[in-house]
Amino acid sequence: MMGCKKFLTVEPIDRLTGNNFYQSKEDVEANIARIYSQFFEKLNESWVMGAIGEARSGEIFPSPTSGTDRMILRDLGTNSMNAVYNNTLGGGRSQGYAMYKVSIWDTYYKVIQSCNILISKLEEGIPGLSAADKDRYKAEATFMRCLSYFWMVRLYGDVVYYTDAYFAKQLPREDMVSVISKCIADLEPVKDIMPWTFGDASQRGARASRGSIIALLMHMKMWNANFDSGNSMKYYESVASLGKELRVSGVHRLYRLTPEEWAKVSKGRTEESLFEFYRTINYNDLNNAYAPLWDHFLRWPYKFPRYNQQFSIAYYSSIFMYRIYPLNGSADKRKELWYEDMYANDGLFVLKKFAANVFASGNEDSNPDNTFMIFRYADALLLEAEALANLGGAREAEAVSVLNIVRDRAEAPRYAGGGADLKNFIFEERCRELIGEGVRYFDLIRTRRILNPQWTMNPMTIDQYNRRAWTWPLDASAKNFNSKIVLNDYWTGGN
Amino acid sequence: MQFKIFYNSCMLLVLCMFLSTAVFAQTVIMSGKVTDNKGRPLAGVTVRFGKSGKEATSTNSSGAFSITTMAGTSVAFRLIGYDGTSMTVRADRNVVVHLKEIDNQMDEVVVRGYVKRPRETTTGSSTKISGKEIQDIPSANVENLLQGKVAGLNIQVNTGAPGFRGSTQIRGLSTISVTGSGDQSFLTPTSPLYVIDGVPMDADRANELGLSQQGPGISPLSLIPPEDIESIEVLKDAQATSLYGSLAAYGVIIINTKRGNSEVPRVRYTGNFFLKTPPQLRPTLGGNLERRLKLLQIYGNALSQEDLDRISQTPMLSDSLNAYYNNSTNWQDLFYATTYNQTHNVAIDGGNQKLNYKANLNYYNENGIIKNTGFDRYMANMRFEYYPNEKFKFTAQVNASLGSKSKGNGLGILQSGVAKNGMTSTLLPGPSFYLASSGYNSALKTRNDNSSKSIKPFIEASYEIIPGLRATTTMSYESTSDNENTFTPAAANGQFAQVYAYYGRYNSLYNRNSINYSHTFKEKHTVFFNLFNEIRTLDKQANATLQARTPNDQFEGPLGFDGYFSKGGGLLRRGFGKERGLSFAIAGTYDYMKKYVVDLSYRMDGSSQNGFGNLYTKNPAVGFRWNAYHENFLRDVDWINLLSIRTSWGVNVMPNSTLERVYGKYDIAGSYNDKIGIGINYEQIPNPDLKPTTTSQVNLGLDLAFFQNRFELTYDTYYKKVNNILFEELLSSSLGFEKVNSNSAAIANYGHELSVMLRPWTEGRFTMSIGANGAYNRDVLLKLPEHYGGQFVRWENIDRYKQHVVFRVGTSTMSNYMLLNRGVYSTDADVPVDPATGRRYRMANGTEFQAGDPIFADLDGNYILDENDYARTGNSQPLITGGLQLNFNYNHETLGTFGLNLYASYTAKRTILNNALAERLQLMNDPYGDRAVVPLDDVNMWLKPGDIAKYPYAYDFKRYSSIDPFRMDQDLWAEDGSYFKLNSVTLSYMFTKNAIRRYGLERLRVYISADNITTLSKYSGPNPENVSTMGRDASGGYPVPRQYNVGVNIDF
Repeated sequence: MMGCKKFLTVEPIDRLTGNNFYQSKEDVEANIARIYSQFFEKLNESWVMGAIGEARSGEIFPSPTSGTDRMILRDLGTNSMNAVYNNTLGGGRSQGYAMYKVSIWDTYYKVIQSCNILISKLEEGIPGLSAADKDRYKAEATFMRCLSYFWMVRLYGDVVYYTDAYFAKQLPREDMVSVISKCIADLEPVKDIMPWTFGDASQRGARASRGSIIALLMHMKMWNANFDSGNSMKYYESVASLGKELRVSGVHRLYRLTPEEWAKVSKGRTEESLFEFYRTINYNDLNNAYAPLWDHFLRWPYKFPRYNQQFSIAYYSSIFMYRIYPLNGSADKRKELWYEDMYANDGLFVLKKFAANVFASGNEDSNPDNTFMIFRYADALLLEAEALANLGGAREAEAVSVLNIVRDRAEAPRYAGGGADLKNFIFEERCRELIGEGVRYFDLIRTRRILNPQWTMNPMTIDQYNRRAWTWPLDASAKNFNSKIVLNDYWTGGN
Repeated sequence: MQFKIFYNSCMLLVLCMFLSTAVFAQTVIMSGKVTDNKGRPLAGVTVRFGKSGKEATSTNSSGAFSITTMAGTSVAFRLIGYDGTSMTVRADRNVVVHLKEIDNQMDEVVVRGYVKRPRETTTGSSTKISGKEIQDIPSANVENLLQGKVAGLNIQVNTGAPGFRGSTQIRGLSTISVTGSGDQSFLTPTSPLYVIDGVPMDADRANELGLSQQGPGISPLSLIPPEDIESIEVLKDAQATSLYGSLAAYGVIIINTKRGNSEVPRVRYTGNFFLKTPPQLRPTLGGNLERRLKLLQIYGNALSQEDLDRISQTPMLSDSLNAYYNNSTNWQDLFYATTYNQTHNVAIDGGNQKLNYKANLNYYNENGIIKNTGFDRYMANMRFEYYPNEKFKFTAQVNASLGSKSKGNGLGILQSGVAKNGMTSTLLPGPSFYLASSGYNSALKTRNDNSSKSIKPFIEASYEIIPGLRATTTMSYESTSDNENTFTPAAANGQFAQVYAYYGRYNSLYNRNSINYSHTFKEKHTVFFNLFNEIRTLDKQANATLQARTPNDQFEGPLGFDGYFSKGGGLLRRGFGKERGLSFAIAGTYDYMKKYVVDLSYRMDGSSQNGFGNLYTKNPAVGFRWNAYHENFLRDVDWINLLSIRTSWGVNVMPNSTLERVYGKYDIAGSYNDKIGIGINYEQIPNPDLKPTTTSQVNLGLDLAFFQNRFELTYDTYYKKVNNILFEELLSSSLGFEKVNSNSAAIANYGHELSVMLRPWTEGRFTMSIGANGAYNRDVLLKLPEHYGGQFVRWENIDRYKQHVVFRVGTSTMSNYMLLNRGVYSTDADVPVDPATGRRYRMANGTEFQAGDPIFADLDGNYILDENDYARTGNSQPLITGGLQLNFNYNHETLGTFGLNLYASYTAKRTILNNALAERLQLMNDPYGDRAVVPLDDVNMWLKPGDIAKYPYAYDFKRYSSIDPFRMDQDLWAEDGSYFKLNSVTLSYMFTKNAIRRYGLERLRVYISADNITTLSKYSGPNPENVSTMGRDASGGYPVPRQYNVGVNIDF
């Protein structure tokens, strides 16, 4: 019968089927590369990095010199998400932005299905894979799966959650707190089997490491600390210990704030990076012109050609800029290194933070060749400080010392204080440190500062907050072939 | 043809006992030989006393017999498949008895698992028809000739495209997989397995890429000339088919070609000259009539001054003096034509019992009734059989064929471009040297040349090791190469010429080894075993090249181009394939004195397609038969010639798993951090639990023949359950993948089949037979994937047809899901008013209905027409199909022989959608456009308030965009698709031998025949048969022509 079996085995040479794949370490590496590139497709298809975490806070305005298509920034800044959806559809006023794609979640689920399949294949056993390799890839796939869920929770609230390979059942959307809790439970066990580094500088930051997992866990716990408020202390405690683990490891550090050093950080693959989608012109990585956030805040000489790049497309309102950097305020290296015309309410404004790595010149029209940073060490430090501050009491001193690591790097005066002021200061420090990195809107939501006009130019009422006005409208296609899916009713119910 | 061969010493004892009772009689010995008409010895002929008395002896393998009995006793010689004869015993040692082959259904020989078996010892359900029944009608596709001839075989000749196939189903629906949309939506073909001269062949091969397929699309069935066919047998139940395994889940059709059959070498010629005429075309208003109608339509229904002003902006309407717009062109006439065709067949055969040979040459030429289409066939089939001695048999055959076809503009079976161009406004000038529409050029000036060349050698050797035990080995090879070349001239393709070339090859090697054994114990118990295995390998590859924008119409090649203009090609998707199959089968039959028969069979099928989880599928079957007419109590009833009851159960398992479906497909896609990514293809989610489709079938049958076979009847009833049907479930976006192939759907088919044959006169000058058959088949959807809650709607949103299909558990499987049309609003006051808002019943876009609009049932009562107003209606599959036949023969010694054969078929209880009428009415939607208009006098249409009509007002062109009165998704188009079709009539005359002998001819027969003569139906569309398998009028496709033929048979 063996002979028969051999006779009946035909290798399909015109296609690669699953039975021939996952046969070596190279196959796994290729599959992981696909998982990352698939997720990045979602970041690359629209101005998603700018829209989801920055513009909705209400501080970004189109420059007076910008065309009408840039009015989408106002739609975002006033939380008119249905208008954002409609105006960016094909033929719409701002169709280039393609923001309606943010409402479509299938690519995230493609990533999730791929991760689920990879994990199940790793469990089955893949030839030529050492135990350490297996652990690492399993942790990496779990990280990407949880990152997808976390990303979706922040965009849509409740999502469909599953981890089985080849999953094909119809499920309703699951409560987001439960999704995040499951992700935490999923990710925590693999944290310790994931190495801190891989001995390969080209994978630093670009590939998930233990630092990436810690950062994601911290973010997820801080999210749940608000929405699952009964358990918030537990979450803060855990975030504090994760932050400590990260610091104690000594693997990551903050680079000095000089033009050369900062250029390295914004280029990517640094020790300051916890996780990023690494992109470079050297590998022929082509980014959608709309994809990078920095596209909107740069002008000549950071963008070319000169004749039509005289002004930035958009600016951060001076009201916001004066808030985080009061006029004649304390010294801060970030002010000089990261901005030009920082209080200008027009296209002169430059967010120079992303202006390093300009490779273009003359009449070439392209953006600086930066990495797409997702989690940075400074972000994790400030999260730790925030958690410690929320724990209060004796932990406040610890919070201040962690906060001051970030302040020290910026050569800004050290903070000394406590109580509510400390929490507010940490929030403002996050605004200062992480501007343009797509976290501020989510900080506003999870700290509920979105309800307070002191912290945002686009506040919402508690009723809107509870009805999840902060979500994106979910595309109606999500209902196809699954009657259990309910769209985000804040956006379908006429607000 | 082997039968029990035995000598029995006990026989003498029995004879002695018999003799002792017979007083005063003289014992004599009579011996001799039994042969057939051609002098070949017949083995196993039973010799009985009296007409149906005790068996005395039987002939040995050289046909010899010897009997000792009293002189004057009557003895009867009988052999299955031959007319029995009886004679009075005399003392003669050199008697030669001739047995004549007969056409009695129970005595015929059927094939089970590649072995011939007497029908009376088989338990399955099958129908055999002789090659004679399908001759006299020239046809490109032999399958079409079977229509209406076999109960339970539903053939719909739904395309007239030369060289293409219609649809064929045995015992109802086996799939719920629908592809395509609108009038092009069709069921995944579930054609039976064809076994041609002992070699299985997949008839769906040319169709696997759908209707608008790439490549020539010449069905392999089109390459078999009907003249060369000896017999066709249709196996219907699972007992009959299970020995053919997985491929036979949809039934088996066995075609045997003719063998050498004459001691004197003879040459037989058949020639046919036939005329094909297009059906009646759509009446169209020409010239000024068109202009006047359009103007009247605008004046009568314009809503604004702008609508009137548009007349002056439409030169076709306003500039009637301009020669360009002052025509009356009959566009349809440019595309359709009556054509003259011919076919010639020469068969040479000869040989004796040791060696015989046959060669058949065939040429068939058909020009399509749509210009620039056609099909030619060239075929040579040579066979020789060699029997050096009784034990050894050797057969070799070579079949070479070439099919060549023109598909016109290359769109394949549908030719939808032609129908569209036929609708061009008559006001426009016809094509000329200066002017021609690109549609016209595309249809008629495209040079399309397709060919399918195939060569099939076949050898078989068999050896009888010991009496009754025979080993056989068969080897065949098929090599087919398919080509398509299309040259599209610049005028037909946006001013740039284009060249398309397709090349496909298909090779398959087939080997079968079998051992069979038969033995009779104690004269009563007969066992038969058949053990065989089959090995198949198959390779295929298809490539294509498309060169767009070639230099000019005069330069067709050789072409060299840069990559930019090479618009496509390479290896085609699904063009490459490699398959291997391995099967083992065993069948055993036991019978007790031919009265009680038990059949058992089991087959294992392995295929490289199955994936590795379950390499083999298993097909068991069991059957019983009771031949009541062999029972003693019926033996003496003279008028009962046959009375048998059969029952069987069997399973055909067909694997659904392919490597792609089970394991998924991985593509190179995306790169990250300088690494090329390989990820799963999200088209379908791998389903490792995919189960094979299992068709289990129970059959109960009755065969009877009375009054010397003057009345014959075969009845079968069955229940067929198709479980684990492959069902493509589209997935929610939260699953990442587009679809999953699940198999939790199931269908049941049950029904009855009846064939009756009446032969009022079987002897004498005038003979006649009348036959009728019918099949009732009902299908019910038993199961759907659980989460659908018993109903799944296949929404068709992409296309203007929007004719949805609903699958609802417990109902007919294929039902339409449509708006229910309840007539036409006679007056505005008839439109219901929503008491809550005071608004009239309206469209979702807000337009309220008014007089002349169709009444759509508001099923959810919300006064808005929306998707909740759809309902299940109709069944697109026919419930009843069948046919009739009538044969007269008048034979006069001096006048010659006259014959009349008539075949008809019918289909009843079927819902079809009259999309032809819908499209005709929709032609009125734009009086400013360049479409033709049609007379609507015959349509029961609303014209003015107060009219009670069936069809809404067509002239109000402003309503089309707002309420779309003739939308496709309403049951206004659903009509009863029952029809009765007179398939063919043949009148023949055969000259007497004396009359033709002096011309050196052996036989001369002339005949005239007509095919597709008339179809009687209440259907208001063009042809109720010219519909897709989903029951949608496809008259936009290739119409089925009528055919008139003159033919001649000459034997030299």
